[in-house]
Amino acid sequence: MTSFLQSVVDAIASGALYALAALGLGLVFGVMRLANFAHGEIITGSAYTLVLTWHLGAVVSLMMAVVVGVVLAVLFELLVFRRMRRANSATLLVASFGLSFALQRVYELAFGNSVRTAPVATGLTRTVHVFGLRLQLLSLVTIVLGAVLMMGVQQFLTRTSIGLQVQAASSDFTTARLLGVRANRVIGMTFALSGLLASAVAFVLVTQTGAVNSTFGVNITVLALIGAVIGGINSLSGSLVGGFVVGVAASQLSTWLPNVISNFRDAFVFLLVILILLVKPSGLLAPRNIVERT
Amino acid sequence: MTVTRAATGTDYDELPNSNGARPASAGGWLTSGLTLAGPLVIVYVVTVLFSMGSGSMQIQTAYALADLVIVVGLQLFVGNSGVLSFGHISFAAVGAWTMGLLTIDPTVKRAVLPQLFPWLSSASASPAVALILGAVFGGVLAFIVAPFLMRLNGLQAGIATFALLGVVVQVLSYWTKIGPPSGQSMVGVPHAFSLQVQLFLALAVIVVSWLYGRTRTARLLRAARENPVAAPGSGINITVHRVLAFGISGVLCGIGGAMWAQTNTVVQASQLSTGFTFTVIAMLVLGGTMSLWGAVLGTLVYSVVDALLQQLQSGLSLGSMVVTIPDGSRPLILGALLILMLLFRPDGITRGREFGIPFLRRRTRARSSATPTGRAA
Repeated sequence: MTSFLQSVVDAIASGALYALAALGLGLVFGVMRLANFAHGEIITGSAYTLVLTWHLGAVVSLMMAVVVGVVLAVLFELLVFRRMRRANSATLLVASFGLSFALQRVYELAFGNSVRTAPVATGLTRTVHVFGLRLQLLSLVTIVLGAVLMMGVQQFLTRTSIGLQVQAASSDFTTARLLGVRANRVIGMTFALSGLLASAVAFVLVTQTGAVNSTFGVNITVLALIGAVIGGINSLSGSLVGGFVVGVAASQLSTWLPNVISNFRDAFVFLLVILILLVKPSGLLAPRNIVERT
Repeated sequence: MTVTRAATGTDYDELPNSNGARPASAGGWLTSGLTLAGPLVIVYVVTVLFSMGSGSMQIQTAYALADLVIVVGLQLFVGNSGVLSFGHISFAAVGAWTMGLLTIDPTVKRAVLPQLFPWLSSASASPAVALILGAVFGGVLAFIVAPFLMRLNGLQAGIATFALLGVVVQVLSYWTKIGPPSGQSMVGVPHAFSLQVQLFLALAVIVVSWLYGRTRTARLLRAARENPVAAPGSGINITVHRVLAFGISGVLCGIGGAMWAQTNTVVQASQLSTGFTFTVIAMLVLGGTMSLWGAVLGTLVYSVVDALLQQLQSGLSLGSMVVTIPDGSRPLILGALLILMLLFRPDGITRGREFGIPFLRRRTRARSSATPTGRAA
């Protein structure tokens, strides 16, 4: 029973982490119809910043990681995606795939093929006892961080003018523009927000592993993207829930799968995804089946 | 008369057509014959030219031909159906695996693949048979998954094919009963085919893709691509035609994978994953997704640029000075090339057109507009 509860807390932490990544992807998808593979490279960039600057002190390093995440995201928008507003979503997908691939090579050129390590926030990896459960402090921090950021994003989207504009643009971009929403500002803001979320994900992941390489952010981005799609990437809550489900599934599968097949964890997650897509192609939370023109 | 000319002009020449989609009009056989002969001749000539080069250039040519087969296979599905696939390398991986498992020398095999199923451990075949089996297994996998995947559209289809790749790569990486111990590779795959054999395989695959493009099912699939709402309304069962295209492209990718395996002589699941997927998609997008000629030209251009960059990495002497680019910048430049292409010419170099000669194209247009019956044919 205790071990079950422990695994539940781990699963919620993993779910929160994937949900943060999926939320970042869902925000951008909402305004641009872009499933941004290159989100992973924002995470990687922030992670490198953390590892390389941690000796300067936690606060400085964290701030720099956030700045790098936001700047990278905004740069992607300015240099690449802004010029592709009229492109269809398949072209955008290929473009972000190419961007992701190219940036991994940039990281390899800049930081080498080997893994960079640093003891980032090692204090968080220790175990604490809560109500008789042995829990990693990091799991609790992840859950709190996830909850705070999600509530922050929610407040931002519902309480501020620009947030409302982002929401409007995400439900119907053309009409929003006709009503005076400034496209560049809203899209730029959305990318910045996704960069911020990516740097939070990077912090948790780096604390977990303490090591970064050029493909650091790929795995979580692919799984979160998949999560967002099965949840229904057309809505933010859909992306969020989908990401959470995938995170929980990944964590639970690695806990309960027998050792012989635990290597196949991601394969099981992928199979689950294909099954969900077959039953609910527009996502778990989609209001109805929307016929999409390809 | 002018009206007819305008109409034929729009119908035949302005729309981006896929494989042989140009209707047979008066003199159309020449144009449509060229859409096959052009790519064949150019692939043949380029391969012959490069095969005269140094040893390393010949190896690069062999890789390029394997890539070409996979890209043509991918285009057969993506171009005709309009559905993006990130999963086709799975079929190439199956082909490569078949080639590796059946052609590695038995004594070597027991050493590198200690935990195989006994029947698999004793199985062996000649390279030609292994190639055919690779094609069959690639096709079987594609046909098995197609009925499920092909019900999806757009982003969902892209994600589902990506998930398929994830499953296949993980199974091949970790299932030691059908492969090497995890993280290791299958070494000692014999280099079985000469460049000439590879060239003929590539040409044959181009012919298959061209012939497929002229079948009724391919035309219906393209109709569904252009209008997925009207096509079912006209009695087209999109899923059936997509499944067929997916299966055939799986067969072709299986052949390409087997060719790649015996060129590379080492087979490892991590090499048949997203990196390779990037390469083939970049090749296809560079040339233009919507035509067979795009797949061929894209692969050629990408491979030539790649070879050139490789030369530059090891230092290319131009007269008295030696030009070098830093190690590892090659994939970066290729990635940038893909993005620039998508920014400035998203339809690819060919803009989705089939091979044609401008002079002939103009003459055909003039002739078909001069004879009004030409349009009905």
